[in-house]
Amino acid sequence: MSIVTRGVNIPLNRAEGDLEVRVEIEDGVVAEAWSAGTMYRGFEAMMRGRGALDGLVVTPRVCGICSLTHLSAAVAALDAIAGVEPPDNAWRLRNLALMMETIQSDVRQSILMFMVDFANRQAYHDLPLLEDACERYSPLAGRAAIEVVRETKRLLQGVAIIGGQWPHTSFMVPGGVTSMPDVSKILQCRIIIERFIAWYERTILGCSLERWQQVGSVTDLENWLEENDAHQDSELGFFLRIARQSDLHLLGRGPNRFLSYGNLVLPEDTTVGGFDGKVSRAGWAEGAEVFPLDAGKITEDTSHSWFAPGKPPLHPFDGETKPYASGHSGQVYSWVKAPRYDGQVAETGPLAEMIIDGRPLFKDLIERQGPSVFARQLARFVRPAALLPPMRVWADELRQHCMDLFYRSVKMIPDGEGVGMVEAARGALGHWVKVRDEKISHYQIITPTAWNGSPRDSEGRRGAWEEALIGTPIADQANPVAAGHVVRSFDPCLVCAVHCLQSGRRTGRMKIDSNR
Amino acid sequence: MKRQKTVYWLQGGGCGGDTFSFLSSEFPNIIELFRRLELELLWHPSLSNLSPAEHARLLADILAGEQPLDILMVEGSVICGPAGTGMFDTKDGQPKKEMIYNLAGQAGLVMAVGTCACFGGFGNDQVIEAIGLQFARKQRGGLLGSDFRSASGQPVINLAGCPCHHDVIAGALISAASGVNLELDQYQRPIEWFGTTVHQGCTRNEYHEYRVEESDFGELGCLFFHMGCAGPLVPGPCNKLLWNQQSSKPRAGVPCFGCTDPDFPRATPFFQTPNIEGIPISLPMGVNRAHYMVYKGMAAAAAPDHLKKRTSKV
Repeated sequence: MSIVTRGVNIPLNRAEGDLEVRVEIEDGVVAEAWSAGTMYRGFEAMMRGRGALDGLVVTPRVCGICSLTHLSAAVAALDAIAGVEPPDNAWRLRNLALMMETIQSDVRQSILMFMVDFANRQAYHDLPLLEDACERYSPLAGRAAIEVVRETKRLLQGVAIIGGQWPHTSFMVPGGVTSMPDVSKILQCRIIIERFIAWYERTILGCSLERWQQVGSVTDLENWLEENDAHQDSELGFFLRIARQSDLHLLGRGPNRFLSYGNLVLPEDTTVGGFDGKVSRAGWAEGAEVFPLDAGKITEDTSHSWFAPGKPPLHPFDGETKPYASGHSGQVYSWVKAPRYDGQVAETGPLAEMIIDGRPLFKDLIERQGPSVFARQLARFVRPAALLPPMRVWADELRQHCMDLFYRSVKMIPDGEGVGMVEAARGALGHWVKVRDEKISHYQIITPTAWNGSPRDSEGRRGAWEEALIGTPIADQANPVAAGHVVRSFDPCLVCAVHCLQSGRRTGRMKIDSNR
Repeated sequence: MKRQKTVYWLQGGGCGGDTFSFLSSEFPNIIELFRRLELELLWHPSLSNLSPAEHARLLADILAGEQPLDILMVEGSVICGPAGTGMFDTKDGQPKKEMIYNLAGQAGLVMAVGTCACFGGFGNDQVIEAIGLQFARKQRGGLLGSDFRSASGQPVINLAGCPCHHDVIAGALISAASGVNLELDQYQRPIEWFGTTVHQGCTRNEYHEYRVEESDFGELGCLFFHMGCAGPLVPGPCNKLLWNQQSSKPRAGVPCFGCTDPDFPRATPFFQTPNIEGIPISLPMGVNRAHYMVYKGMAAAAAPDHLKKRTSKV
């Protein structure tokens, strides 16, 4: 007879209570999981009736770590409504700032949020690499932690040069950007990028960007690790070694379906390559098989969420956000809505981007092993290696084209509707906006964490990390590190899940803080 | 042995932006700051590595008075909805506002970090009933009540801004660790950083002086008259200390949104200046309307060519 423990309270570290996951454990592994996200801040309700451009100021405040991503989505929706094509320099500046923000998030998440879990003496007392991990990742003290705080801060100085400050600037406006930095400032940005590349190569990769790009399969990856001490000792090398010892490739499979909206619109005149006018491709994937994306297939389901009941799943142009606090009863258990693509659950984030862009290492990884904590976190560790080379190019192109346009005048936003779909550090982010009489009449946001951390839908299908938790071994219910790695590998940001209300059941929760 | 001063950082209804601003503190950076000031960071939701059991014990010890708490930093608003219950924002099933209230009662000094914690900020409408620690917008009271004083005898120190400037957070911590009592303005913001307007130090000031104004993005003139810039209306150090050691929004062509004001976010549209006959309805702090109209009329007439032709860089 199997041993079943229901409603298990599984606490995790760095918990503030934004996310609560309840699990049922059967014979030492997770058999069921319910993820209840928490904070409701009413942003969409706040937007209705405000000025047409106010999304540029209000929505960055949804999230302090990806504030430029919300700005990017908000401005893309307004560009669409205004029917304006921003000039090349605007795309270069918007992209550079967004890439800087994404890279700081990837690096901070990898070192300060994910790897720090291995510096947990209580949980990992018998891990051979524990002392090394503590020396690298202890909060405010570890070698890598100190370097990451210093280097990400310096990278963000580039955003301030372009947009005035970080976080919470609004320098992207329909038609382009609000200013063009002086040539000396563009050159300074170039140096900031170059300096960051040198640090990223030395500390995170342990090799040059060019050497890393040659890694195109799981076998290549194994050979790369064994190649020399620099690879072994880098943060990536350390992650690969600790992942092997902790079997991270066996953890957290998830739905094995992936979604990316594509990202970084290419200027018309550029040497940077991409797909369909963007650096990364919009798409939908089942395993490693990629299909074109049809945004009309996106819906939000509220059958298990605390919102006004009785509506079928709706497209975000028709969606509503009416909180309805019914308490902890029946099947309703979360304040996050359940976004679905063609009715299907999907995960989003750097791994989805890598698969949909057809990067050979990740295609091979998914075909051989399927998705996992390892694959997800590896994608986040190395995404900056894909972003940094185009940043170099765009900084140079800005210098060459410094007298060209950066803004096309948009005197007024006409009535209409538009969508802004971009890739945040955590994955697919969309703003669906309607404007009437120069005021916002409708605003719906679907965040990456709503995709990854959604509750069940009306068909009973689990959300992405609920699904990924199934089968996770729980050796010690008081210290379920494996379950923590699973949820953290999605880089949860519950501040971002704008629909969430901070609430929860009194018993039976696993708790993980948001990454902010 | 001298006891280390302790800091507890709590997040309520917010975006974490103040934490991310604080991470951009350059001199000293946050790690050097805690080390040099010999501050012990008991807890920060994104930086600490305590297990929930250890965290629960820490909280119990603070509330029992067994663990001294010298400085309480609160980021994010106090969410009171729905219907005043606070159940939109809970920890372990209890409204987080109760936790904030109880911790404030034990703290040597309480600092509200960011406009949400100071005044309610985003969510200060009826949707989630957000308020600040000692204010609800401009109204005194807030969660703790207007008579609240921490053990040091000081009211809540309001480090306003959305987010609060990194140098203000660092500077306020340095003052607190050094036992310096900061002088406060009527909204309890330290005069040290909120004694000048955001306008002060703006590189568009020459354009402002001669009323050379813009009505579209991407230009060099002043953003106050048409573009909704609140720089002359609100206090803050953005053009004095600079963001990320580099710049400020107005320098990059983005109007100041007035985020240090208790009424932020304002109800009227951003990027627009409500005005009567081209003169803004809200005038710079303390200015007489009739005098201002005469002065600006004369100033515009006296504007030099290098401003009228926009050859002066910002």
